Parts: sequence; C-alpha cells; structure tokens
Amino acid sequence: MFDALIDQFWSLTFSGIALGFIYVLIAMGYTMVYGVLRMINFANSEIFMVGAFATVMVSKYVFKLSNDAIPPSSFKLFFVILCCLLASMLASALLAFLVELVAYRHLRNRTTNRIAPLISAIGIGIVISEIVRILTGARTQFSPNIVPKKTLATFQGAEIRLDNTLTIVAGLILFIVLDRFIKYSRLGKGIRAVSMDEDSAKLMGVNLNRVISLTFIIGGLMTGAAGFFYVNVYENVKFNMGFSLGLAAFTAAVIGGIGNIRGAFFGGISLGLVEIYASAVIGTQWKPVTVFIILILILLFKPNGIFGEAIQRTRV
Amino acid sequence: MSKTILNLKDLTIKFGGVTALNSVNLELKEGEILALIGPNGAGKTTVFNLITGVYKPTSGNVFLGDLAIDGKKRHHITKLGIARTFQNIRLFGDMTTLENVITGTDVRNKVGLIGSMFGTPRSRREEKASIAKAYEILKFIGIDEYADRLAKNLPYGVQRRLEIARALGTEPKILLLDEPAAGFNPQEKVDLAAIIKKIRDAGYTILLIEHDMSLIMGISDRVVVLDFGQKIADDLPSVVQNDPQVIAAYLGVPADAS
Amino acid sequence: MINLRDKGAEFWERSNRPVRVLTVFAIMAVVAALPYAGNTFLQTPVAAFDAVLVYPMGMFILMALGLNVVVGKSGMLDLGYVAFFAVGAYTMAILGTRTGLNTWEIMPIGIAAAMFAGVLLAIPTLRLRGDYLAIVTLGFGEIVRVSALNTEAIGGALGIAGVPFPPGLGFEYQLLDQKYFYWTILVMILLVIWVIRRLTVRRPGRAWESIRQDEDAAELMGVSTYKYKIWAFVFGAAIGGGAGVFYASRSMVIAPDNFTLNTSILILACVVFGGMGNIWGVIVGATILGYLPDRFRFLSDARLLLFGLVLVVFMNLRPEGILPRKKREKAIVKKGSGASL
Repeated sequence: MFDALIDQFWSLTFSGIALGFIYVLIAMGYTMVYGVLRMINFANSEIFMVGAFATVMVSKYVFKLSNDAIPPSSFKLFFVILCCLLASMLASALLAFLVELVAYRHLRNRTTNRIAPLISAIGIGIVISEIVRILTGARTQFSPNIVPKKTLATFQGAEIRLDNTLTIVAGLILFIVLDRFIKYSRLGKGIRAVSMDEDSAKLMGVNLNRVISLTFIIGGLMTGAAGFFYVNVYENVKFNMGFSLGLAAFTAAVIGGIGNIRGAFFGGISLGLVEIYASAVIGTQWKPVTVFIILILILLFKPNGIFGEAIQRTRV
Repeated sequence: MSKTILNLKDLTIKFGGVTALNSVNLELKEGEILALIGPNGAGKTTVFNLITGVYKPTSGNVFLGDLAIDGKKRHHITKLGIARTFQNIRLFGDMTTLENVITGTDVRNKVGLIGSMFGTPRSRREEKASIAKAYEILKFIGIDEYADRLAKNLPYGVQRRLEIARALGTEPKILLLDEPAAGFNPQEKVDLAAIIKKIRDAGYTILLIEHDMSLIMGISDRVVVLDFGQKIADDLPSVVQNDPQVIAAYLGVPADAS
Repeated sequence: MINLRDKGAEFWERSNRPVRVLTVFAIMAVVAALPYAGNTFLQTPVAAFDAVLVYPMGMFILMALGLNVVVGKSGMLDLGYVAFFAVGAYTMAILGTRTGLNTWEIMPIGIAAAMFAGVLLAIPTLRLRGDYLAIVTLGFGEIVRVSALNTEAIGGALGIAGVPFPPGLGFEYQLLDQKYFYWTILVMILLVIWVIRRLTVRRPGRAWESIRQDEDAAELMGVSTYKYKIWAFVFGAAIGGGAGVFYASRSMVIAPDNFTLNTSILILACVVFGGMGNIWGVIVGATILGYLPDRFRFLSDARLLLFGLVLVVFMNLRPEGILPRKKREKAIVKKGSGASL
C-alpha cells in the first residue's frame, strides 16, 4: 500500500508542491476577500474555472497550438506563456470584479443579513458554471500542450519537469509580489486597514467600495493565474472543475488561518503535498474525501488556523 | 448591610497588549442599585461582558454568591440569574414585543423540542405560563399596549424599555442595564428612573451603566467609578460627586454638569 | 407589490370557522385531484404529469420544508442538504433489497440514519461562524456522493436497483399511475407542516428565530444556541432522510448521480424563491420551481441556470421571496386571555 509512496516519494513531492502552488493562488481569492469582507467568496471556484478556460481559448484559437503542431521555439514559447497567463489573470479579475458588483455590493450596503450575500454569490457561481456548461455541451475540453513537459533534471530518480518547475517558480514570484504589495503599497495598506476595522478605515478616508472592488480584482488575478498553471499541468478543463479545487483551496486558506496571506501559502503547499501523498496510498478517487476530512479536523481543533487569523474581532 | 450577591475579584482582562480592566474589585449587595460610571473607554461595558460571559477574564474571578461563574457558558450564566440589556439596542426585530419577552422567559422553561412537538401537558402549561408572565412584565414596565407590535417598528423609547422587559423575562436575580437612558429626553429619563426604582423594589438587584449624572444621583445607592480600566472610586453618590479624582477623570468638568 | 401572504392572512382572520373549514377542504380537494388533471394544459410534455407531481414537485416541497427550518427559520446556510436525502435513500435501498423490511418499516431507520449524519456534521461545525458552515456542508454533500460512488459494496457508480415499492395499504402502488405515491407524499407534507407549525409557535421556534436574528443576544437571553442549532439541523436532516426513503422506494433505482450538489442548490432556490422562513412561501416556491422545468422543456436544460438566477435576483431585488415572512403585526395571543397560540 505504501510502496507507491516510497518508490516515487520525490516525484510525488515535486508534483505536490506544484499542486500546492495552484492551491495557494486560488486561496488568495478566498483569503483576501474574507479579510476585507468577512465573507467567503463562493464564486471563486468559478472564477478559477473561467481563468483556466481563458488559457485554453487563447492557446487553441489565438496561437493555434495543437498537440500535432511543432512546438513553438523558445522565444515564441515565452510569448505564448505570457499571453496565456495574462489572459487567464485578466479574465478572472474581470469576472471577480463583476461578481463583487452583482452579488455583493448591493447587499452589503442594504442588509445586515449575513446569509443573503452568500446565497447571492452561490447563485452567481452557478450561473457562470451553467453558462460554460451549456456552451461546452458539458464536455471536457482538452488543451494543447503549452509548456513542454520535458525533464530538466533528475533528483533521486525523480524527474523535475518544466511545467511543474514553471508553476513553482512563477507561483512563488506572484506570491512574493502580492505579499510585498499588500505590505507596502497604498492600496495594500487600505486593504489592511479595512480588514482591521471597516468603520475606522472609512473615517480615515479609505474609499470602501474601491478597496473592496480592488481586493476582488487582486484575488481574481491570483486565481486566474492558478487557472493557467492548472491547464499547463493537467491539460483539460471542464465546467465543474472549480468545485473540488475551490474546496481544496478554501481548506488551504482555513489551514493557514483565513484572512492570513502567508498562512494560506503554508496551507496550500502542505495541502498539496498531503493530497498527493494520500492519493498515492489510498487512490485518487478518495482525494476530495481526504481534503474534506482535513478541513473538518482543522475546524474542529484549530478553527482559527495554524497561524491564526490575521485579524480577529470579538463580537458584542 | 445586606449580603453580597455578586463579587468581582481582581478582575483583569487584556486584549492583545492592551489592558482593558486592571484588577478591578467590585461587590454588589443584594437589593441595591449600583451605578457604574466613567469616561468613554473606561471599561464599563467590558465589566458587563465579563459578568455575562461574553469575555473570559485574563485573571481574577466573578462570583455569583459563592459560585465562580467566569468561564461558564453565556446562556448558563443567564440561567443562574444574571440578565442584561444592550447599549445599542439588540432586540429580536422580527418578533413582536410579547414574543421578545417570552423568548426571555424560555430560559426557565423545561420543555424541549420533543415535548413541544408532541404538545405534552407540560409544554402547554409552560407556554401558557410564559405568555401570562410576559404580559405581566410588559404591564409592569408599562409597555403592554405595544404587545402585538413588531419590535423593529416600536418607538425608540419603547424599544429601550422592551430591552429591560426582555431581560426581566429571564427572572434574574441581578439586572445589568447598559445605558438604559441613552437618547432619552428629560421626561423619559424621569419615567425611566421610576421604572428602575420600581424594579428594585420588586426585589431585583441592579447594576447600571449610565452617563446621566442627575439620573444616577437620583436613584443609585452607591456609585463605582472606572477610569482607564481601574476603579478610582466606590462610595455614596454624594461622596463620589465631590471626589477630586473623579472630577479629574471627567476632565475637570464638574460631575453634575451633564 | 402586493404582499400575498398578508392578503391571505387577512382573509383567514376575517373568516369565521365554517368558512375556514370550507376553504381548507376546497384547497385540499383541488390539490388531491391534481393527478386527474393530466390531460389539461398542465400536462408535462415528456414525463407523465402524475409522476412530475411526485418528483420533483412533491419531493421538492418536502425537502424545501425541511431545509427551510435550517435556512429560513434558524438562519444557517446548509448547502449539502442532499446528503441527508442520500442517506435516507441509501438506507432504503440497502435494507429494502437485502432484508425483508418494507418501506414503512425502513422509514424510521432511514430518518434516524439521516439524523445521525446531521449530528455528526453539526457537532464540529455549528460552533463556528455561519459562513464556515456553508462551505462545510457544501463539502459534506459532495463527500457523501463521492463515497457512495467509490464504495463497490453499495453499487458504486451504478447504484442500487430493484428497490421495492412500498406495500399497498388496501391499494397497490403502481409505476404507471402514480396517484397513490402522490397522495402519500401529500400526507407526508401535511404531517411535516403540522409538526413545523407546532414547533415554530412554541419554544423551539422562538429559539430558532432569535438565533437567526441575533445569535449573541439570543445566547445572552438564555437561549442555548448551540443546542437549538443542532436541533434545527437534525430536524431538517430527518425530513431530508424521510424524503430520501420515499424517493428510493418510488424510483426503484438509485445511483450517486441522483444526489449531486445541484439538488441541494435546487432546494435552496425553492426556499429563497418562495420566501425564507415562511412555510406557504416555500411550498409555492417549490411547486413553481419543481413544475416549470418539466412543463417547458427549454427550461429543463437551463434548469440550474434558471435557479442560479433566482438566487441572485431574489437575494438582490426581493430578498423576502414571493411570499415574505410575516410583515404585518399579527396578534399571537388575545390580550389577557392567556389563550394558547
């Protein structure tokens, strides 16, 4: 039972870290929005799905890539990667912006009922995935191979593949940029101010609607990037792909303490690893169950996550 | 002197690095009206939150009689006989006035979900008794004419009084009133003072947070002053009023100026 | 817009007892006669009308009533309601095909199993903030399905076939003429309405209502919020489980595909569409949303899309649903009389 795990330990570890980075990026969509709104962005899994579709569209229809065609040269390859990544990020960011506008903004200002915005966000998530389902005829869409899955080096018998490496390196860069941005930029400070105390932030002249909008957009950019990396590694997209990845990314955010960006980083990587190891032991079909059990255990024993929430507010 | 019913011993609470209350001692005697005053941010509502179990003290204890109640569940503390009102009104707006009070009385009821479902004799009896009791309380507070109105549609003053009625519904030994006169005009304040006295005369012990000095001087038996989480005075109203430390705490403004 | 619920309530209060009794009988007669309306404009083009009355309509109403206790009355967002439906259905299918027990004997077992699942899920999650509950239940619904899908002992992806019909009670349940199934589910719905109404005007109802409106204040007024939240959850689960038992027994075949997230969303849409917290609103909502996609085929492929839109539009434009929670100020007791509710 554990043979597979031991034999392929390093190879699994690399895939686990790469998957972990995908979770980290999606988790940004949850954790940033939660930080400022104290609400789960239920449409984030659909924002991810659309980001993934954007990459497939651009590579297939703009660059006419296909698996039979000759792979592009290294300069063109770089250009294609960049375009696909940007397309995914922009598509997701635009969608995230719209989600906030349609599902949250109106209700946020109007009602104190906390479940109304959740229901509205779930509704918009369904609308998005259903539109995609109807347009694609509910079929899985296969993506051409964008980043060649060639082996860069071997380590302890494990292949270090280009696509995984790209995910890890680019993911790390994106994360560091975001982290610095939140820490030092004006907008980042605004976001942190709102997440600490909305009312005071407003009094201090922070434009709340703008900050919330931009938070959704930044979360969308990260989530969209995850869509690109996902397509790179797995090469297929489907209208309902967001569900299990979204749940896993949310779990990652909760592990690290939702609202806490660095916590989500740790949560994402560790969840990616655990998931890949567990799949090797008990089979991939039980993957969602593993993730869910981890989520329940975390909520049961460490509801504020391992690093604690960035900001806690006591009620009453 | 009558016996101590509620006793706060060396109560300290810290939020992050900030000490909100620092080793506060406070005794509440049975049957008295004790006013808790102090400038904004002095920690008055924090005291209420500690007594009612919203916060757990960093150190120190809250004793109800001989029983330490800090760390007990909030609804359990209510059941033990402590009820409160809220500074910012927190009624159940979609319920009627009467239903609000009945919800309070439910803490004394024993029937559970199964009993209610099957309509056992006890459940019927308790429902009837609760309704009757809630009516009585509304009459006692003088808002029974609003019994069937939704709480969110009530006039402001009635909402404030309903907060008190709902708390009384739980049959407390001790009633904690958090700024019950906030936003009241002078006439309403006079009426409220009468109600509070009436409640005390009915056998309740009252701990009161209030800013209005004339109201406090008029009804309280004793005044405790908090400043920056410290108790700086604990005496008869007339004595506290002239305490230089208290006057200083209120930025030199004579205490009866408000 | 006219508040239909208030109009109805006004009519009810103006009328005297004979009128009320007559109204109830008239409505019941019309509702009970629906299976005979199959050849009118109500006819559904593909599925037989009497079958549509049982599933989705009747079943949706039943489940929406159960979910309404959780979402509408107590204010907890449960996105995995289908899990309890699945537990009930699988209990029926397993016991019905492997033991000699019949549907009515399995019913309490299925309900108990669903309640047990509800408790298991409620204990770790109900202490947490409301939005955590939403995502945990969302995951739970999917986990139950995935587990069923991967467990060969209960048929895996193929599910379980040959689930027996309920034994007749002086009549025979039939596949081609489902009016007996319909009447049975009507009885179940009435029973559930009766129980919910009893609960909501009494202590549990007040506790749930107070939790929904202000959980902290409720707890400080002595409401054991955790306990009542679990009760609401488990009560909802029981209804879902009961519906599941009946569903499996009527459908004869069940498979994991019958219990997707979509079903949870559809039921939630019924609750939101009709008006959260209001029994009659929920019934109307479930009736309309259960019927339309079968009546108008172009809607059936876009069914989920439609329901997603319902969620967004109703939450934003008409959060009270089509039949809002009571708005008018209704006397629940006559003054001084202390009469029961």
